[in-house]
Amino acid sequence: MIEAESAPIQGEHKEVLLDIAEVSLAFGGVQALSDVSFDIYKGEIRAIIGPNGAGKSSMLNVINGFYHPQKGTIKYKEEVRKKMSPHKAASQGISRTFQNIALFKGMTTLDNIMTGRILKMRRGLLWQALYWGPARNEEIINREIAEQVIDFLEIEAIRKTPVGKLPYGLQKRVELGRALAAKPDLLLLDEPMAGMNVEEKEDMCRFIIDVNEEFGTTIALIEHDMGVVMDLSDRVVVLNYGRKIADGTPDQVRANQGVIDAYLGVSHSN
Amino acid sequence: MLYRETGQFKISYAADQSVFPIAQDRWFVSLIIVIAIFVIPVLASEYLLQAVMIPLLIFSLAAIGLNLLVGYAGQLSLGTGGFMAVGAYMTYKLTTAFPDINIIIVFLLAGLIAAFVGLIFGIPSLRIKGFYLAVATLASQFFLLWMFNKVAWFYNYNSSGTITAPPREMFGVVITGPMASAETRYLVTLFIVIIFAFIAKNLVRGRLGRSWMAVRDMDIAAEIIGIRPFQTKLIAFAVSSFYCGLAGAMMVFLWLGSAETEAFSINESFNVLFMIIIGGLGSILGSFLGATFIVGLPIFLTNAPQLVGLSMPIDMQKHIEIMMFGSLIIFFLIVEPHGLARLLQILKEKLRLWPFPY
Amino acid sequence: MEIISFLNLVFVNPLVEIFSYPIFFAEVVISGLLTGVMYSLVALGFVLIFKASGVFNFAQGAMVLFAALNLVGFIEQGFPIWLALLLTIIVMIILAFLIERFMLRHLINQEDIILFMATIGLTFLLQGFGETLWGSNVKPLDLGIPNQSFEVAGLLLNEFDLFAAGSGAILVGVLAVFFHYTRIGRALRAVADDHQAAMAVGIPLKTIWIIVWSVAGFVGLVAGIMWGAKSGVQFSLSLIALKALPVLILGGFTSVPGAIVGGLIIGVGEKIAEIYWRPLVGGAIENWFAYVLALAFLLFRPQGLFGERIIERV
Repeated sequence: MIEAESAPIQGEHKEVLLDIAEVSLAFGGVQALSDVSFDIYKGEIRAIIGPNGAGKSSMLNVINGFYHPQKGTIKYKEEVRKKMSPHKAASQGISRTFQNIALFKGMTTLDNIMTGRILKMRRGLLWQALYWGPARNEEIINREIAEQVIDFLEIEAIRKTPVGKLPYGLQKRVELGRALAAKPDLLLLDEPMAGMNVEEKEDMCRFIIDVNEEFGTTIALIEHDMGVVMDLSDRVVVLNYGRKIADGTPDQVRANQGVIDAYLGVSHSN
Repeated sequence: MLYRETGQFKISYAADQSVFPIAQDRWFVSLIIVIAIFVIPVLASEYLLQAVMIPLLIFSLAAIGLNLLVGYAGQLSLGTGGFMAVGAYMTYKLTTAFPDINIIIVFLLAGLIAAFVGLIFGIPSLRIKGFYLAVATLASQFFLLWMFNKVAWFYNYNSSGTITAPPREMFGVVITGPMASAETRYLVTLFIVIIFAFIAKNLVRGRLGRSWMAVRDMDIAAEIIGIRPFQTKLIAFAVSSFYCGLAGAMMVFLWLGSAETEAFSINESFNVLFMIIIGGLGSILGSFLGATFIVGLPIFLTNAPQLVGLSMPIDMQKHIEIMMFGSLIIFFLIVEPHGLARLLQILKEKLRLWPFPY
Repeated sequence: MEIISFLNLVFVNPLVEIFSYPIFFAEVVISGLLTGVMYSLVALGFVLIFKASGVFNFAQGAMVLFAALNLVGFIEQGFPIWLALLLTIIVMIILAFLIERFMLRHLINQEDIILFMATIGLTFLLQGFGETLWGSNVKPLDLGIPNQSFEVAGLLLNEFDLFAAGSGAILVGVLAVFFHYTRIGRALRAVADDHQAAMAVGIPLKTIWIIVWSVAGFVGLVAGIMWGAKSGVQFSLSLIALKALPVLILGGFTSVPGAIVGGLIIGVGEKIAEIYWRPLVGGAIENWFAYVLALAFLLFRPQGLFGERIIERV
């Protein structure tokens, strides 16, 4: 058993956006997460890494309220939250992308990105039925925001294309667009670069950095490409078999013996 | 050369989001509406209006309703007939109890009641999906018809168990009942259908439509981006049932004149489902095309043998008709599983390039 | 007062009746079980096809009618019963072949709902074809099984019902053996799990489909014989498909034991409701009661009788 290295507190006083304390999650007999604790500072890029089956996606699912941990507390924006629905999480400014693209395949790029604005639209059924007055204005205002996202991600040309017809790399980009359209405070990215070629990866990295720097969005990402992780992230947390085995800056994590073992599969005799 | 959008630039998002962004489409639809309003009532015979045009319009409305639920929100329902019956029986109850209320308002009220009933029968969609839900909606079909059949209050305790359209006027013209002319009933139907077709279009191109499609395409992702799937599905059930209820009310009061529960049997549910599949799932226009196909096909099949000079016993002909209907449905599904709306789209793309092949 | 008498009708009177005449109650349950076997038989046809091809075959009811019509037709033509049976089985196999050749093959990879609608089309086609061929009047089907009642330990039982239940049970047993211990059965289960993977390891999908639709046709024939002998072969036979659907949502579309147990539950529940709660609802509830029963059950256990709890992943 390896002692988890405690996260180093960097000199400056950072504001904690999300604080996860001793979270455990099990499905039946399978322990997906056990006593995981880490925090995410406002404005940083935080990577969650680990071998397959380490519980990374489960961790994201816990953060955005899709899974409910059996144990532990989660503090988001200075508020300890109780059992929370994904809807509530989304309305508090958490949005995410998925490991296997979860776009709405039958809809166009534009409509997909517009779904990211749904929580910001309030007009009732009757106004929508008339598509006039406030409802129409609301559509147009949100369309403008969606168009800004489209512009930012350079996907103008595929605006009206059904996403089911797009190549994989573009779909990933549209999915990021949908998450961005909500103007999130915390953006969760689940393997945003999986299955991409080098060029697409570079594009995606650029977008992630731009989002972080231009909008100040806090980002938590899961990624297997170590080069990308080390370059992008401010801090990295490493999970293995549902436990945290390391936490720190990329350099610290890279040097951690436990992490190396977890990835190379060295067996330890207790 | 006739049909292309070249040169039609949108300078505002409003223009880009309009129902028919391409001018030719706009003209074409306007032309059809003008013909439907001004030309058809003058030229068409009583038979054509009564046997073709009125049912076509009414079933189009029901098909739009079901398409909102199945095509847009992705909730397969086989209970259409039941919801149509709610509209019809509630209209009957309301208009016999309050004869002074304008019949159109009664239609809408009955639609609202149908919407409420639809909401209740949509509750299982919280827990079950797909074919399980489809079978569950059959419960509404059977239960509602049984209730309208069994509880005499719904048909005012009359001995025949049928509901009959009483004469009701609007602006001094009789629009329901045996005295109403086919032209009047046709025009009233047409106006209601046009208005509600546009409302449906508005709903599906706005926030609600996007929520429906999101739930349809991937409900978990929809939930995570902040759509409440259950609420969204329930609204779909309610809106869809409103349309079906309205169509059911119009079916009895503007078309048939009187009806028993038999008129809303499961076969009607299947027919409306055929309309949206053949017309095109997730297409308002497709609902009209599908209704035209399904209303027209039996008429064609009934008359076809005479046209080619064939004569056979009545019941034999009925069986062959059913058989042909079934085969044509299968044939059509094989040839164009995405429906007439897709066919139209392909046609448009061809037209865009015409007269050049590429 | 109204409410009291209503509550009486719902909770008190039926229970009083059940406990004061336990023998009669046992008879009700047994007759419900026997009807349930028949529901199971029809549901089984659905499950077989859904498992192997993912098609919700609405035409199963029409196949029951079609098989029974053919059988009766052949008997009317003067064939002995065994030959008529054999001919009908051959007809059902040919039918399965035609369905694969002209329908399923062209609809591979279409959405489920398209396939479902196609089977509704098939329902019309089979109904129309069967009746064009053999006419639409009610035909009696006499198998020579005495339809008499006899008493065992104070219980009144019907010989024919027992025969039907017995053959149903045998059929189910044979099918279970077929699916678990033969090569074709294994291939079938592989196809049910994953079409593409099955094709990749060299299982001929088309042959499997023909086999499974033939088996479903055969199951339909057995169901057709049972129901036909009971109430005559007529159009309404195809409507028993509607009775089997609640069994499906109760037992699960893919579970053979689910279809059997579900059928029994629905059969018994329906009989009990019909006999003891009749005064409350005024009869003719058989059209919808099974659905409400299945729905109520699903609200508490959405995965059905034998389904496993699904953990949703993203």
